[in-house]
Amino acid sequence: MKYFLYWGCSLESSGANFLVSLKPVAKALGIDFVEIEDWNCCGASISYVGAGDLSIKVLNARNLALAEKQGGYDIVAPCSSCYIQMIKVNHEIQESESLAAQVNEILAEAGLHYSGKVRVRHILDVLYHDIGTDRIKERAVKPLNGLKVAGYVGCQSVRPYGEYDSVERPVIQDRILNAIGAEAVPFPKKMRCCGSGIFLTEMDHCMHLVKDILDDALVHGAKLVSTVCPMCAMNLENYQSRINKALGTRFDVPIVYLTQLMAAAFGMDLKKDAALDYNIIPPETLIQAALG
Amino acid sequence: MAYNTSFAEEVFRNVDFGDEIKMCMQCGVCAASCPLSLKMDFSPRKIFTLIRAGKREEVLGSQAIMLCTSCYSCKVRCPRKIPVVDVMHGLANYALRQGFVPRKNTSVFGSEFWRQIYKLGRIDEKDLSRRYFFADGLVPGIKNSLEMMDMGLQMLLHKRMKLLPERPIKGIKALRRMLDKAEQMGKGGARA
Repeated sequence: MKYFLYWGCSLESSGANFLVSLKPVAKALGIDFVEIEDWNCCGASISYVGAGDLSIKVLNARNLALAEKQGGYDIVAPCSSCYIQMIKVNHEIQESESLAAQVNEILAEAGLHYSGKVRVRHILDVLYHDIGTDRIKERAVKPLNGLKVAGYVGCQSVRPYGEYDSVERPVIQDRILNAIGAEAVPFPKKMRCCGSGIFLTEMDHCMHLVKDILDDALVHGAKLVSTVCPMCAMNLENYQSRINKALGTRFDVPIVYLTQLMAAAFGMDLKKDAALDYNIIPPETLIQAALG
Repeated sequence: MAYNTSFAEEVFRNVDFGDEIKMCMQCGVCAASCPLSLKMDFSPRKIFTLIRAGKREEVLGSQAIMLCTSCYSCKVRCPRKIPVVDVMHGLANYALRQGFVPRKNTSVFGSEFWRQIYKLGRIDEKDLSRRYFFADGLVPGIKNSLEMMDMGLQMLLHKRMKLLPERPIKGIKALRRMLDKAEQMGKGGARA
């Protein structure tokens, strides 16, 4: 199955372990990814500071138009910010003829046009609905033997549209965790926000959000936290020692991408494919012990 | 509070998604769902009521309109389908255009973020952080960098920093033309 992979800016740097592990996992499941040639940034959730809403719509419309022109396959956006920006603009263009006309008048500056026919998908949507947990389970030759994982969903990967999972009680990440042999622990804070893109600039406020999430994961028995969002991963992992210092906590919880756990359970190389050496709080010991 | 529609009309006219506040029934579900509402001077619900009461300075100067984490809890739960996140972003954008600075750090970071998109079409994370840390000049910049150095080093050691500078996308000139045109055609008016 062929899809566009719109990985975005973060997955080339701070979220590199997501992209590195996603590629071999997708390949093993028969997913064929192609890049949208000359893609641009989605604008994330902070561009409103520098630009009006129409400019942010245009950023995303350009990527959608390029995808339509280059084959029109479904676009998979693994970064939740890329996903929400792109799917939002796609819906808005599809729902309003006047907006579509306005956007196309602007796209014409680059000789582009977008008719609204491309689908924007989340990676969890594709893994669950197009591939399915049976095939994932079958491929998991080295299951994670009951490793207790908190599947942290966060915000922008399902809210607000909920096209592939419940917005209040999502289950898909947990079902994939179970399919690869891990035990997804119940985790009421799995939908609570970590501070997202304003963590760095509003650190005093956002540290408490991450503390609550990590506390909740640990109280429910999790040994590590999995996520599918580069901002969640950054805020929960990279700032953990800072939170310990500021709030007097003693967190030492590895934060991994779901695809890193999948690569490990698929029997792939823990460094080259699962990219475990990219993690700052090392998850190797826990994962290796679970693999047996 | 008495109604005074002068500011509300300004909001409907100039703020992206501003006319959506007409639908607000003051139930407070947005405030109850917001992860940072307790840190805000006014909750989203109160912001909407202040707009209707004509409190221009209070609203545009409020830190609340820039403390939105874009978690979409309010948008998904609003019983009247108001895209509260988008209204908050619209208000913050308009406040900045009018010369208010609701939250300084987020404003500096967001401006640099947009500048990079306009310059490259993409974000260069390490350059973005450097510019953010040095926004107030050399001395505060060095202090900020030293404070965050451990994190930067960790990211470098764990291959989570792209070492090569980001090159502009091929279509950068056309992208800039499109963004210029979008700013002209969009709501919001001229910058202060």
